[in-house]
Formats: sequence, C-alpha cells, structure tokens
Amino acid sequence: MKKYWRTGEPCVWGTGAALAVTLLIAATLIVVVMVNGLGVFWPAAIEKLELKDGSALLGELTQRETVHEGEEFRRQYKVGNRDLYGLDFRWVDEADILAVSQPSDALLLEREEYGNFYGFLNRFEDGGAGGDMLGALRNSHAEVMAEKALVRGMNEEISRLSYQLDRLRRNLLKAEYQGLGPDHPKILEIKRNQAILQDDFSHLVARQNQAAADMRARKAIFADVNGREREIALADIVAIYGPNQMSLVEKAGVYLHRLKELFVGEPRESNTEGGLFPAIFGTIMLIFIMSLFSFPLGVIAAIYLREYAKEGMIVRLVRIAVNNLAGIPSIVYGIFGLGFFIYGVGSSIDQMFFPETLPTPTFGTGGILWASLTLALLTVPVVIVSTEEALGAIPREIREGSLALGSTKFQTLMRILLPMASPGIMTGLILSMARAAGEVAPLMITGVVKLAPSLPIDGNFPFLHLDRKFMHLGFHIFDIGFQSPNVEAAKPMVFVTTLLLVLIVLTMSSVAIYLRNRMKKRYTFSTF
Amino acid sequence: MNEKFRIRAKRNDRIAQWMITLGGMLVICSVILILVLIAGTTLPLFKAPRAEIFAKFPLPKEPTQEVLALGVDEYLETGFFIDRQGRFNFFENQQGLASDQMAAQPPGDGIKVLKLESFGRMQFGLLWEDGSLSLERVVYKPFFDEARGNRRSIEHTLERDAFFPATTTGLPVQSMGRVAEGGRKTRVDLLTNGQLLINQVAVSESLFGDPEEESFSESVVVPAGASLTAMALSSDGTKLYAGTSSGRLLRWSLAEPGTAELLDDLRAFDDQRTITALTLVFGDYSLAVGDDRGEVTTWFPVRIEENRAGKQLQRIHDLSSHNGTVVMIRPSLRDKSLLSLSEQGLLRLDHMTSERHLLELGNHEPLTHYNFSTRSDGIIAMTSDHRAIIWRLDNPHPEVSWGTLFGKTWYEGYDAPEFVWQSSSGNDDFEPKLSLTPLIFGTLKGTFYAMLFAVPLALLGAIYTSQFCRPRLRGIIKPAIEIMAAIPTVIIGFLAALWLAPLVEKSLGAVFMSIVFIPVGLIIAVIIWQTLRRHEPLKRIERGYEFLAVIPVIILSLAIAITLGPLAENLLFDGNLKQWLFTEMGTRYDPRNCIIIAFGMGFAVIPLIFTIAEDALSNVPPALRAASLACGASRWQTVWRVILPSASPGIFAGSMIGFGRAVGETMIVLMATGNTAIMDLSIFNGMRPLSANIAVEIPEAPHGGTLYRTLFLSAVILFLMTFVVNTAAEVIRQRLRKKYGRF
Repeated sequence: MKKYWRTGEPCVWGTGAALAVTLLIAATLIVVVMVNGLGVFWPAAIEKLELKDGSALLGELTQRETVHEGEEFRRQYKVGNRDLYGLDFRWVDEADILAVSQPSDALLLEREEYGNFYGFLNRFEDGGAGGDMLGALRNSHAEVMAEKALVRGMNEEISRLSYQLDRLRRNLLKAEYQGLGPDHPKILEIKRNQAILQDDFSHLVARQNQAAADMRARKAIFADVNGREREIALADIVAIYGPNQMSLVEKAGVYLHRLKELFVGEPRESNTEGGLFPAIFGTIMLIFIMSLFSFPLGVIAAIYLREYAKEGMIVRLVRIAVNNLAGIPSIVYGIFGLGFFIYGVGSSIDQMFFPETLPTPTFGTGGILWASLTLALLTVPVVIVSTEEALGAIPREIREGSLALGSTKFQTLMRILLPMASPGIMTGLILSMARAAGEVAPLMITGVVKLAPSLPIDGNFPFLHLDRKFMHLGFHIFDIGFQSPNVEAAKPMVFVTTLLLVLIVLTMSSVAIYLRNRMKKRYTFSTF
Repeated sequence: MNEKFRIRAKRNDRIAQWMITLGGMLVICSVILILVLIAGTTLPLFKAPRAEIFAKFPLPKEPTQEVLALGVDEYLETGFFIDRQGRFNFFENQQGLASDQMAAQPPGDGIKVLKLESFGRMQFGLLWEDGSLSLERVVYKPFFDEARGNRRSIEHTLERDAFFPATTTGLPVQSMGRVAEGGRKTRVDLLTNGQLLINQVAVSESLFGDPEEESFSESVVVPAGASLTAMALSSDGTKLYAGTSSGRLLRWSLAEPGTAELLDDLRAFDDQRTITALTLVFGDYSLAVGDDRGEVTTWFPVRIEENRAGKQLQRIHDLSSHNGTVVMIRPSLRDKSLLSLSEQGLLRLDHMTSERHLLELGNHEPLTHYNFSTRSDGIIAMTSDHRAIIWRLDNPHPEVSWGTLFGKTWYEGYDAPEFVWQSSSGNDDFEPKLSLTPLIFGTLKGTFYAMLFAVPLALLGAIYTSQFCRPRLRGIIKPAIEIMAAIPTVIIGFLAALWLAPLVEKSLGAVFMSIVFIPVGLIIAVIIWQTLRRHEPLKRIERGYEFLAVIPVIILSLAIAITLGPLAENLLFDGNLKQWLFTEMGTRYDPRNCIIIAFGMGFAVIPLIFTIAEDALSNVPPALRAASLACGASRWQTVWRVILPSASPGIFAGSMIGFGRAVGETMIVLMATGNTAIMDLSIFNGMRPLSANIAVEIPEAPHGGTLYRTLFLSAVILFLMTFVVNTAAEVIRQRLRKKYGRF
C-alpha cells in the first residue's frame, strides 16, 4: 500500500480526474443545449389546472422545482395570452392544485402579436351554427393564409418601388449636388419619373391596405380557460394547433413544420418567435465574403513563410506577428474595424462617391463588407497556420524531385505542393469559417443589427448591397437572450438558435479536424 | 521544350515570388498597422491644447469709453464690449469695425453703471449708480441669410432678465442677482458696513394656477472678524459663497427664501491670505478660489465624519499658480475648465478634474478683461492698450491626464479620491469619470479566477492524455477537446449567464461542498480500488482507462454534494448562505459573479492550454521516457521528474496563450458579469473588464470624442497585454522548436 502511494499512482488518478472533469463539463454543455433546444418545437400537451381559489389555468408545463426547503414543489406554466394576463409564465404551488386534466378541445394559437394564445374556440360566424366549427375555422384560416401570401407578394412589389424611388431621390440629390439647375432636362426627367413611380406606389399601397383590411375582417371569438373572450382576426393567427388530440405522427409533422419555419421564416415578436432566415443568411453571407479575403491572403502568406522566405530574422518576426495576430482579442479587431474600415476607408468612399447624401453615411457606417473584412483579418492567422502545417508536412524529397525535373518553383508549388496540401488548406479554411460563425464581439461594433430591414442580396440593382447591415446567429443569441424585453419568453428561441449554431460550428470543426488528421496520417510527420 | 513556354514559366515564377513576398510582408504590416492605427487614435488625448489667434485689432471705441466687460459669439464673428453708460457696443471681428450699439435701459436719465458682474452664458449684472440692479443677457442667434445666398449669419439681441429696484439701505459695495428657472429671483448685496442684504422673490402657483409672487428681504450678519472680499452666487441663486481678507470661506444656503443658513465658516488658509476671486465651476457644485498668493484651488462640501450629516467645504484640487494676485476666474460652460486672470494680466486655463494646466495667454501683452465665447471654445480679451484679441481654442480632451486615467481622482460628490469609471450621464454638466484602473483590475480579476480553474484542469488533463492514456483513446480525446475550442464564446456566455448562474445561485452550498467532496471521493475511490486491483484481470485493464473509471466517482460525489448542500446550508448558515455572507463576511452576492466567470471563461481557455501543453508533452523525445522507465522509475516519477521539466517551456507557452485569450475574451464577460466597475477581489461579485467595456460603450461614443479615444486607449492596453504574453510564448516555442528540431 505504502509503495503504491510512493510510486505516485494516485497522482495518475488525479490527472485522470482532471481530464474526466473537463470532458464532463463539455458533455454537460452539449447535453444542456440539446435538451433545451430539441424540445422547443415539440407540441407539448396543454394542461388545465383547477386551483384552490376556484380559478383555472391553461398552459404548457415548463418547469418544476422545490420550494420551502425541498419539501414542496411548484410548477411553472407557460400560459401565454399576454394581451390578457400581461405575463406569459406563471408559477403555481403544487399544494394549490386541485385537479389536472388535458381538455381535448384546448387550442394553441401562434399569433403575430402578443405571443401564443391558449384557450378554446367559442364562436366562429363563418362556420355556421353547430357542425364542425373548428374544421371551418381551419379552412377559413388556410384561405386567409393564402390571401396573406398574396398581400406579402404585394409587399415585395412595394419594397421594389420604394427602393426605386429612393434611388431616384438619390440621383436627384446627386444632380443637384453637381450644380444642375431646376430646369435642367436631367432633373426634369428624374422628377417626371418620380411622379410616375410615386403614383404607382400610392396606388399599390392603397390596394394592399384594402386587401389587408378585407382579410382582417374575418374574425373568430376565442375564450381563455376562465371564460374571458377575445376576438382574434384570422390574419393575426400564424397557426392553430390542438396538441391534446394529436397523434404522435401529427406531432412529428408539427415539429418538422416548425423546423422548416425556423429555417425559412422571418422573425416575429422582436425576434423571440418565428424563423431565423435573415440571421442564417447573414451569417453565411458574412462567412462567404470573409473567406474571399482571408483565404487568398492567408494561403499566400503561408506559402511565403514556408517556401519563399529564407529562415532568419524576418521569418521569425513574421511568425511572431502571425501568432500575435491570432492572439489579439477579437474586440480589438472590432475597434480596429471601426476606426480603420468604417471611419477611415468608409468615410473616404462616402466623400468620393456619395457626397450628395452626406451627412447620411453610405459606407461610413457599419455594414456587412466592413464586418467581413474585420473577420478576415481575425481569421487570417488560422489559415496561415494550417496551410503552413500542411506544406511543412510534405516531404522534402517531393519538392526536390520536382525541381530536379526542371520545373520552376512556382510550377512545383501549383502542380505538386498545393494539391498535396489541399486538405490542410481546407482545414484552415473551415476552421476560420467556424471561428467567424461564432465570433460576435467585433461584429457588434462593425455592423450587425438586431433586425435588418432587408437582406444584403435582393432583386434590386446592383443586387449585392455590401453597405447594408445584417443579422447574425451569434448576435441573435446575445440580443434575444440579454436585450429582449421578455427574457423568459425568449429562452426557447435562444436555445434553438444556440443549438443551431453549435451544430454548425461543431460540424465544421469536426470536418476540419478529420481532414487534418487524415493528412497527418498520410505523411506521418509530426507537426505542432 | 518550347522556348516560349520556358520564358513564360520563368516570368510567372518571378511574378509569383514578388506577389507572395508581398503577401507575407502584408501580414507583418497588418499587425503593425493595427497597433499604429489604434494607438494613433488615442494620441490626441495627450496633445497639448492650443490657442490660435483668430483676430487681433484695436478695440473700436471712443477714447472716453471705459470697457467693463467683453463677449463674443460661438463663431467668433461678432464681439461686443460694455461701457459705463450700460451700452453694448458690437463689432465685427473680421475687420475690427464697430457695427451697432444696443443700450441697456438705465433706471433714470444719465445714471451710469457703478459695477458690473458677468456670469453664466453672456449674462451681466449691472449695478447702477442709484443702487438698482438689472440683469442683461446677450443672445446670439445663427440663421441662414436668404439675401446673402443662404449663408450662415448670426444676429444678436439684448434681453433683460430681471430688474431689481434700488434698496433702501444705501449704495451696496457689490451686488449680484440671479433668476432661477422657476422664476425665483435672488439679489445679494454687500453693504458698506460689511453686512449682507438678501432680497428674494419667490414664485409659487396659486390655487387657480396663476403665479403668485412673494418677496423676502433679510439682512445677514456676517460672522465677526470676517471682511468679505469676494463672493459667488450659484446660477439658481440658492448657494452663496464668500471669501474674506483673512483666508476664511463662508457658505450659505439660500434655498429657503427669507432664512439664509450659514453652512460653513472655515479657516480655509492658515496663512491669512486674502481671497480675491470666487466662482462656481460649471455645474455649480465646486467652488473655485483665487487668492493674493496667486493660487487657484477648488473646493466642494464633503462629508467629514461618518455619522455627521452635515458637510464641510474641503480643498479638492490645486490648479497651477499665478505669480501675483488672482483677479478673476471664469468657468468654461462646456467642461470643468477654469480661466483665471492675474494682476499681471496673464490668463491661465486649467482643467479642474485632471488638474492639467492647459494654456497660458497674454505673455506678451498684459490683459485686463476677458470672457469665454458663448460655446466656451474661444476667448476674447482686451490688452492694457485697448486692443482686442480673440483666440480659438483647440482643446478637445482637457479632462484626460495620466492621473485621471490611472490614478485616484477626487470627483464631485465623492467623499474621497477614488478609481471610478462612469463615462456618461444625462446632464451636460456631468464630470466624466474615466479611470481605466477598475477596468484593468476587472480584466485581471476575471482572468485570474478563470486561470485558477482552467490551468490545473488543462495541464493535468494534458499530462494524462499524453502520458498515461491508451493511444486509441488519445486519438479520440484530443480531437474532441480541439472541437471544444470551436464552441462560440457567445454560447458559453449565454449558458453561463442564463443557465449556470441561476443554478449556482440556488445551490451555492452544493458548489462549495463539491470542491471538497470530489477530491475526497476520489481518494476514497483510489483506496477502494487499491484493495480491488489485487485481482489480476482488473489490474490488467486498469492502465490507460483510469479517467473513465473516475467519471462515475465524480458524478456520485457531485450528487452527494448536491443532496447535502441544502442540509449543510441549514446547519451552518441558517439556511441561507448568501444572507450569511452578507451579514457575517460583508460581501454581497451577485448572481453573475466570478464563480460563473471562472467556469465560463475557464471552459473557453481549457482547450487552448490543453492542446498546446499536450503537444509539448508528447513531443518530448521518447528516448528520455524509455531511459527513465528502464532505470526503474514509476510512470508518475518519470512524468514528474523527466517529462515535465523538458516540456515546461511548452506548458508555459500554453498557459500564456490561455492567459492572453482570457484577457481579451469579450462575450462571456459581457454576458456573465454584472458589468459594474467595482474594485473588489471577492469571488462573489462581478467586475467590468476592458473588453466588455469597449463592447458596451463604443456604440454610444461619438466619433473623435474623449470617450471614443479613451476606449481606443483601452484597446491599446488589451493589445499590449496580449502582445507581450503572446510574443513571450512564441519566443519560447521557437526555442523549443530549435531544441528538439522537429516541430
């Protein structure tokens, strides 16, 4: 026994414990995200509670915890109906509950405003008396949804027109800035076009308003569990569910439907409900533009370091520089992006190309281009290090063989080394993309917004709008988790976004690391 | 081979070489560029202020006219002077020519101005020879002149704010009047017998909503032996200060009309010096005192003893001294700067908070009268030979000095000098508090706790993975931890703040219990295992799988801690550890505190340290290890005595890089700390680190302003912190690389 202690065997166990703790924490993180994120879209049963004070409560069970030194429990229900109760959640002591039931006619309405509605259908005029009122409601709702899609189609037309109007206004400003008088044919022409467009525009808006008013005229009357009635326009309802009478397959269908909504839908209710499409789009766009800059720059720098530069002071300095670049806090990059790209380059661009709109900045404010460039700078070291590793792993003999056959250095590089190193380069690229997907701090300074009015790509000339602000998954998490007025109600959405981001990032880095390990195995050279 | 092809290939090769070299250089340049640009943005903070002469001309006046005061508009275009007859003579600064004259209406024919006091924004109190007092104000109004091609012009008008009729007690020596926002008027007279007469007109609203005026008149007896030499009245007329010929300072409150209350009678200076000039600093909280020794000091009331409710005037800041008596002090109306004039005619501009001496004017020609422009970014002054000089001030950041950035500063309203970060507030006369010390402290505090958690876990884990683990498992663990490094910090921060923080708050006892229980559980498990492992098959499988066997032990210990946690809390701390901490230990428990940061940020840096340390450990030449084992050392002895020392530079480098990362981490600290800039080492409260501070404040910081540049300065500090650490780590790694020649 004594000898066992003296050999230090328990210390080995200690080191093992440290590793175990680390892995456990990581596993906990993943499990917490999974558990909280995966269940959000599953249609939970709606429970009806009868309480001791004679009132009733209808909602989804969200939490159960101990109170009074662990002797009693209390439950948290999501009761929705923010327009009636003010709060979405309610705590109930289990001691106060008389009976729990799951009424089969309980309905869950997802609404455009005020969050979910939990209650029962009272009257629906269009459906006639008696009969299948709910079925009629569903049919009418489907019709209204179809109309709504049409109205939304008009919306696109309207935004196209307003964009054109805005362009005309800017052209006019530009012409006036150039000193053309009010009688100049160019200005007259612009003004004429403006008048025509304005006419179209107001016509369309009037039509849309009419259609929306018609649509909103169709209403149904619902009641909450205590009988308080509420008239809701069908147009305000996103979806109608009766989760208590759904089969497992139907629930799965709802789950998938909501998942689809998540990927293609627009956010609602200050981002706490609805879809993530603009955020996903913004993130992908950001990563793409960033790669366009960081990838070539990083690869070239790595080639210089590994193949062209002579080992010496300069290379050592560059290495130190690269490692420093990797170690600089991301917020410092952000502030650099603000000072250099936005206030430096952006303001100059504005002064040179858009002086007519000043002081309203075009490029002199945060936008997707500047955010991408900032991130490119931030991720260049990742690409450099991986590419260097990959090039360093290629045996010397291959290089020498190629040169001996009479090819130039550049030819060797293009035909032999780069193809061989491509998995390593890919690793760097993917890792840098993963980093960019998860980085938030510098974006907060350089152009990410809570809600972007339009995507950086749309159907209006010049199609790609690099000056626009954008949305981002990581910032979405920060924003709805910490800056939304109703944090509790936002939590499910934060977890879903988190899950999505974790999946994206983990998949990307797993692929990258897999590629790198395969590469390592191929040459069995150890690298740092 | 085709000749053309060869030439082309060679040409391409050369071009490629240039391009690639250029690209490499670009990387170095970008690091330097980042530093230069960020540092360059902060430089104007420390630039010495400049005053550039905007115009200089003989004052356009009749030889008989006597100048009492001066003024100029915000564009420094139109100036004016006031003469004995109470006339405001305006002049164009470009040509130096008189433009027009506006007269304050005298109380009677031929009555001249006896004395003039200038205060506020172009406001003047004119004491007439008959003892009446009128308050006049010059209003400048910029407008766009259609007639002159829409050019910006400025017009001026003269307005009378109040008129106080003559008092019956004879002609006062000095007289001051103010009109407060609600319409309350205050007049203070210093009489020839050395007593004060205070007249106030209070305006209140009657039952029917009509304003009702009520007059109060009161004679205030000045304490014995005090002969008043200077007075100052706050802009709402509620605070009256006076200085005496023997260095005493007196303070009255006139808040209650008709009952002036003497709050302070203080022997401010022991050496019996005469107080010659008094004025209130912008914001009406601090009092600037000038004396016949040429010193300018600022004072404000401070709570002297803990249990005394009253406050006493206290000397707070000493500004730069003149050579002779201070004649007059004028406050700037945009910041806490003071402009003082000495009897030699020298003007000195000082900032109160930073105690920075900014400018000295009038070296060549002695000045007699002066005033700030309406926006306080220009100065107009008159020389003794009746010439007007107008300066434009280039003084963007007077409130910043090394002392205010890093040292303790005594701010208005505080009872002692302190480190404070509070960059903005609702009102204009706010004193910005830009001490970076609490932020640097916060950064280091968060980093310290995170490293305390991360370094042991990461290093021990790395030792296990590289030395004891089965190679097959190692091939899984290492990539797994590398993938861990990719988890976005915004997610870690979110979970730490919204999931972990409530959990820890609820079961604080369990958290502390588990710190004890997990090691104890491990020791017990090892002892039990020791008896079990005598069986041969168990002994064979144990090696390399220890960490898996340990996992259930840890989970079990944790579970015991969680069940026993509330129990222990009940027994030891009356069921509420947080309450106990507050009452017994005096530390407040913030829900978002350093425990959360240690977990969150620790988790973010563990993979970084782990990966580098593991690489360093597994790259120790296997010969060393084999030799040690062959000599009969146990596997732990080998690791402890042989492997660790030779891998120590790599381990150090890994820790350094982890430190650098923790210093700059933004999202986790932004979300999981309270972001309050306090200086308290306690693990139970939060902090405000540099990085989160930048993220919070830069969106609101106006481009080019003091806050903007100060935030850039904090970015420079962050940059330098990580630069030093990373460079050290990289140099060590390069040495290591040379030593073993294989990385």
